[in-house]
Amino acid sequence: MNRIYDFTLSLFAGVCGLLLIASVAVMLGFLVGQGGSVLGLKLIFGSTDFREIIDIILLRQVVINALWPALIGTFLLVFTALITALPLGLGVGVYLAEYAGKPAKVFFSLIFDLLAGVPSIVIGLFGFSVTIYLHSHFSDLMPCLLISGMSLALLVLPYLVRTTQSALEELPSALRVTSFALGAEKSSIILLVLLPQALPGIFSGIVLAIGRAAEDTAVIMLTGVVASAGIPRSIFDNYEALPFYIYHTASQFSNQHELQQGIGAALVLLIICTLLFTGAGLLRKKATHHFLYHSK
Amino acid sequence: MIPGRVVEIENLSFYYGAQRVLNNLSCGFAGHSICAVTGPSGSGKSTLLTTINRLWEEVDGARVEGVVKVLLDNMEIDLHESKIRLAQLRRKVGMVFQIPNPLPMSIYKNLTLPLRMAGIKNRDQQRQRVERVLQDAFLWPEVKMRLQSDARLLSGGQQQRLCIARAMILEPEILLLDEPTSSLDEGAVSEIENLLLNLKERCSLIMVSHDLEQVARIADSSVELVAGSLV
Repeated sequence: MNRIYDFTLSLFAGVCGLLLIASVAVMLGFLVGQGGSVLGLKLIFGSTDFREIIDIILLRQVVINALWPALIGTFLLVFTALITALPLGLGVGVYLAEYAGKPAKVFFSLIFDLLAGVPSIVIGLFGFSVTIYLHSHFSDLMPCLLISGMSLALLVLPYLVRTTQSALEELPSALRVTSFALGAEKSSIILLVLLPQALPGIFSGIVLAIGRAAEDTAVIMLTGVVASAGIPRSIFDNYEALPFYIYHTASQFSNQHELQQGIGAALVLLIICTLLFTGAGLLRKKATHHFLYHSK
Repeated sequence: MIPGRVVEIENLSFYYGAQRVLNNLSCGFAGHSICAVTGPSGSGKSTLLTTINRLWEEVDGARVEGVVKVLLDNMEIDLHESKIRLAQLRRKVGMVFQIPNPLPMSIYKNLTLPLRMAGIKNRDQQRQRVERVLQDAFLWPEVKMRLQSDARLLSGGQQQRLCIARAMILEPEILLLDEPTSSLDEGAVSEIENLLLNLKERCSLIMVSHDLEQVARIADSSVELVAGSLV
C-alpha cells in the first residue's frame, strides 16, 4: 500500500513540475517565435551602425522608436527602488528577527502582509497622490523617476523584510550561543556572524525585489513613465521603461511590425532580468566569500 | 574568597522554569589548575559552568539565586551584583563546548572573530595572535596552509583544538570546558588532554567530565554533583 502512495505522490509531484516547466517553455517559445526575429541592435538602438550606437550610448544622439531609453529607464528604476528599499528592508528585517518582542512582531507581520497584498495600482495611486500633495503645497515636483523608484520601493519592501527576517530566524541558535560565549555584544553578533550567514536568504529577497521592480507597470504608469520621454536627465525627470513600452505597444500597435517590436521588448526585459539575477548571484558569492573566508 | 581560589560559589540554586537544577550549592575552584566537575548526566554540571560566564542568561526561563564570585585581574567580582558587561566577562571567562562548534566560516575567521568583536582590528596583531594560539593548540603545522578553508572540514579532534584555540585567543583567565573530549576518538582525546595540561600555566581550567579515568589522569581536584547537589 505504502508503495502505491509513494508512487502516486512522486508521479503527482513530477507531473506538477513538468506542467510548470512546460508552461514557461510555451510562453518563452511564443515570445521567441513571435519576436525573436526582431531581436538585435536595431531593436535596441534603432540603428546597426556602430558609430551611431556609440553616439547614442554617449548621449550625443537621441534615439527614436527603439528600446534604448526604456532599457536605461528600467535599469535606473530598479536601481532607485533597491537603493531606497534595501536599507529599510534590511533594517526592519533585522529588527523583527533580533530585537522585536512578540507583540511588535505580530503587529509588524500583519502590516507587512497587508502591504504585500496591496495591488500595485493602489501603490501607484498612492505615489501619485503624494506627488500631487507635494506639488500643491511645497514645490513644483512632478511625477518622475524618483517618485516611481520610491513607490516601487514600497512595493518590494515586504519581500526584503520577510526574507531578511526569516533568513535570520532560520539560522541555528548555536551560532548565537557560540558567539555570546566568545564575548560578543549583540550588535557585533548580528553584523559579523548572523548577517553574513543570512546572505543567501537576503539575496533571494533582493532577486525577488529586482524582478518585481523591473516588471511592474501599474505603479510607474501613474508616477512618471512616459511613452517617448527619452533618457532622463535627472531623477526628477520623466523616463521610459520596458514594461510600459510593452503595455503601450500591446494596446496601441497599428501594424505587425510594431507588435513584433513589443514582443521583442518583452524578450529584452526577460534577458535583462536574467542578467540582473545572475549579477545578484555573483555578488552573493563574492560577498559570502569576503565575509566568511577571505582574510587579507 | 579563600586565597588561591578563582571562583567561589555560595548557596547557588538554579531553575529552568519551575524545575530546580542546582540545589543550594557551595564550592570553589582553585587557580592555575584543572578542576573537574563530575557526576551523572542531568546532574547540573553544564549548568554550573554557565553560571560562571553567565551564559545561562541567554536561555529563556532560567533563573538563579545565590552568589558567584570570580577573581579577574586580581579583583574579586560578584557576578550578580557587579555591573560588569556580559561581553567583557565572557572575554575573561572563555568556554569550550561538548560538541566542537566552529562557526561556518574559515579557520582564520573563526579565530579572528573574538578579536574583531573585542575591537582588536590591527591585522598584524591578529595574525600574530592566530599563529600563537594555533601553535599552543598543536594545530599550526596541520592548518597553516589552509587557514582560508572552512573550519567545518577539519576532523572532530582538530575542530575541538580549534575551538580551544579560539577560546584562548583573548587570553582569558578562566577557561570553562564542558565535556570537551566526549565526542572524540582516543587519539584526539589524548592530544586535547596534553593541550589542557599545558594551558594550566596560563589560566584556570574548570572541566565537566563524566570520564573518571580522564579526571584521574589530568585533574588536580574534583567535585561530584548528583541531582544538583554536591556529594
